[in-house]
Amino acid sequence: MTISRRVFVKSGGLALFSFGLDPLFLARAAFAVRPPASPSDRILVCLFQRGAVDGLNMIVPHGDPIYYRERPRIAVPEKDVVDLDGYFGLHPRLAALKPLWDSKSLAAIHAVGSPDATRSHFDAQDYLESGTPGVKATSDGWLNRYCQHDREHQDTPFRAVAFGPQLPRILAGSAPTLAIDDLQAFGLRAPQPVARDRLTRAFEELYAGAATGLLSASSREAFEAVEMLKRLDPGQYRPANEADYPRGKLGKALLEIAQLIQADVGLQVAFADVTGWDTHVNQGATEGQLAGRLGELGQALAAFTRDLGERMRDVVVLTMSEFGRTVRENGNSGTDHGHATAMLVLGGPVNGGKVLGKWPGLDAAQRFEARDVAVTTDFRDLFAELLARHLGARDLSAIFPGFMPDPARFPGAISG
Amino acid sequence: MKTAIVLSLLTLAWMPVRVAAQHAALTPQDSAFHALNRLAYGPRPGDVPRVAADGVMPWIDRQLAPERIDDDRLAERERQFQILAYGRADLAAMYTEEQRERRERKLAAAADTMADPAASPIAQRGRRLAGEFADLAIVRAALSERQLYEVMVDFWTNHFNVYVAKGADRFLTPDYIEHTIRPRAMGKFEDLLIATARSPAMLFYLDNWESVAPGSVPPAALRVRARPFFGRRPGLFDPMHDPARQDSVRRRALERMPKGINENYARELLELHTLGVDGGYTQQDVIDVARIFTGWSIERPQQAGDFQFHDWAHDRSEKHVLGVRFEGGHDMDEGIRLLKLLANHPATMHHVSRKLCERFVNDDPPDGCVDDAVAAWRRSNGDIREVLRAIFHGPDFWAVENVRAKVKTPLEFVVSAARAVLAQPDTSPRLAQVVARLGEPLYLHVAPDGYPEREAAWVNSGALLDRMNAAVALAAGKLQGITVALDSIVSVGDAEQLIGVVNEKILGGAMSENTKQVLRRQLAGINDPTQARALVVGLAIGGPEFQRQ
Repeated sequence: MTISRRVFVKSGGLALFSFGLDPLFLARAAFAVRPPASPSDRILVCLFQRGAVDGLNMIVPHGDPIYYRERPRIAVPEKDVVDLDGYFGLHPRLAALKPLWDSKSLAAIHAVGSPDATRSHFDAQDYLESGTPGVKATSDGWLNRYCQHDREHQDTPFRAVAFGPQLPRILAGSAPTLAIDDLQAFGLRAPQPVARDRLTRAFEELYAGAATGLLSASSREAFEAVEMLKRLDPGQYRPANEADYPRGKLGKALLEIAQLIQADVGLQVAFADVTGWDTHVNQGATEGQLAGRLGELGQALAAFTRDLGERMRDVVVLTMSEFGRTVRENGNSGTDHGHATAMLVLGGPVNGGKVLGKWPGLDAAQRFEARDVAVTTDFRDLFAELLARHLGARDLSAIFPGFMPDPARFPGAISG
Repeated sequence: MKTAIVLSLLTLAWMPVRVAAQHAALTPQDSAFHALNRLAYGPRPGDVPRVAADGVMPWIDRQLAPERIDDDRLAERERQFQILAYGRADLAAMYTEEQRERRERKLAAAADTMADPAASPIAQRGRRLAGEFADLAIVRAALSERQLYEVMVDFWTNHFNVYVAKGADRFLTPDYIEHTIRPRAMGKFEDLLIATARSPAMLFYLDNWESVAPGSVPPAALRVRARPFFGRRPGLFDPMHDPARQDSVRRRALERMPKGINENYARELLELHTLGVDGGYTQQDVIDVARIFTGWSIERPQQAGDFQFHDWAHDRSEKHVLGVRFEGGHDMDEGIRLLKLLANHPATMHHVSRKLCERFVNDDPPDGCVDDAVAAWRRSNGDIREVLRAIFHGPDFWAVENVRAKVKTPLEFVVSAARAVLAQPDTSPRLAQVVARLGEPLYLHVAPDGYPEREAAWVNSGALLDRMNAAVALAAGKLQGITVALDSIVSVGDAEQLIGVVNEKILGGAMSENTKQVLRRQLAGINDPTQARALVVGLAIGGPEFQRQ
């Protein structure tokens, strides 16, 4: 058997439903030369904090009096901060992540962001997803370009999955990717399982017999995915180690990601959105709006790592956001659009227990345009490091066109 | 250039022979089905024999003159759409009002968690309006007799893409479609290009409204200190009375002021709207185009004001674009002159003609099609109808290898499915949501390039499953927002009759032997005739033949 798609190797029984291999299918499968075991099992999970998270209240520079001076109403009081290294600390509602810091599998990158100065959510999100700050006409996202250029990695319908109703820009492009809103509902919909199976079989036969070109290849992938999920029976999944995912979209997305990882269906890149960070008004400090969002994030990430247990050895979770917020609080006890923010990386391969990146300081003279945290790490250097050192990507310049990723500038998020 | 003209003359000379050869290959029914798939959003039951009997070429010529086609039934349906009753200023006022409410509610709230922004009234209202507006596009595409016109509206909306969820474009986009794109979709390319360049929606989307000559200051900014709050006088307890605060307001206003040129529109104008990425322009050209358009702005964008030329923001020095000198000091005329130059540039003719051939003939368009279109463009000074006529009269359009060579886009799939079963969509956004689920939400392509014309962009496993689900739901009458009357199309009969009628009326006779066998097997255990009919129609619309056009 020359077909080396991960699905067939990993779950041999599934080969039963493969049929009628046409030349196009073989051409696609030819990408699937099996690479050495280790990078192929590695997984990157990206969480997009859409709306611009306030990096300064997420990873708090509690050692700097300017932080307290500029934020009289919304600074997290020293006594509440979960200290990390004497200068920075976690927002108290992220305390669930402290054990990961202690075990050196959590790092934060501060003062990270886009080289483009825009303070528009629209533009900045666009640049974060396209991976080409300042260039609007890029039609695909950087995670998709990674999938395009490292195609020797096994090809499965679940290689790159966005958890949400629509494919986000970061995963849009010519490499096959999947948007899954609900694992249980993925596939043909019918009132009863029998009717569902029957309908699935009917369409499968229609496409096997009469589809040509890309329709043929895509339909085959679709029915492969449906069949795999059916065997997985996502409705029966119970998180391991009493992991307690918070209710809501983020908890559900991470639970489903964990499920696909546990099921060994070849998931390599997962993506989910987390909204609610645009805290212009009544942001709060130890408690309040931002605290609520961070609490959910911390609880979800803690549950995810607990659920995956040993499997976290191969997994890196990245949080990212389009920009940070003003150093000084505004007139509505909130913060306005700023420049650099903080991102988190956690997982087995992470060089943890550190706040990475060059800290520019909060003094007005050190700020970007005298108001925001300056960017000292281009987000592409962080993303490139994760793709290269974690997922084993080789052609970084194709993934970030117009940018020369340089290992010397990598923030050092991945160990060894 | 000379070679191109000679070549196109040759093509013209050969055309009748090649066309004749094609007509031999395609039956009148096949020709009608093909034309209805490409110039229209697919046939309704009965359309194919009707067009075949009247002659496909006369039908095409009628479609090229939409103003002479009666479309009263659509006009009646359009009156149900509230969005059309609002001007962009009304929409802007509603938006501002909702924003204020939201802000006040948040100021008052002491909730621990910030409400999910997707559930806030501002987002809901924006979504509802965008939803009704997107659904209007579907209703028009499904019901209009001016089918080619609606296809062209979609083509230009995509070519001159704006993103409805970007700031003021939430309330500027409906006006853009109604008053910028639709009136010019079958006119001269030059007029359309100039209209988009002046449209508040495009000026906002590609940031040109903020593009100013470096160092220029609006007259109003100098008055900030004197009139701090839109003419409101400082009161006793007014925080504005505090001089320090007043200074900071002024500083912030000045900080927010645009400080130089923004190249965004200039670049996309050259790369996407006109010349194309290989159109032979340089970075210096982009900069000079941006300088020419400094001052093209919007009067009060947050209130959906009209286009306004700000002479104070205009760069008055000399510019050079594509080797052509633009003498300084001619204000808006420089931009108009440049747009005319670009609209009639050979690279533009080629770029846009190629895109039209992609849309109407093949994802990889034959050179002959592009050459025919360019020749017609040149002859007619960019008359869109003549360019289209050249494509539809050309041999490539009718070549057997280009028939069913394209996969329907999400919009084309949903609308053609609705037409195939004579469905009546209502004003709810349900069908627009199906289009979105299939991967191409209307007016929500974030990048300025618009949705690609090539199938790889929308054919993928998840979207295919969603097509099947939508087809099954539609046939079973379970798709909300749409009324289906299968009775008038497919009478209940035995399996063979059912399969035959569906093949003829919905698939244009393209049903494969395999599909017939699968349908027979599926029908074997079903006794309820209504259920059998829904199953066959659902499988046919969700199946592989119907995905192609």
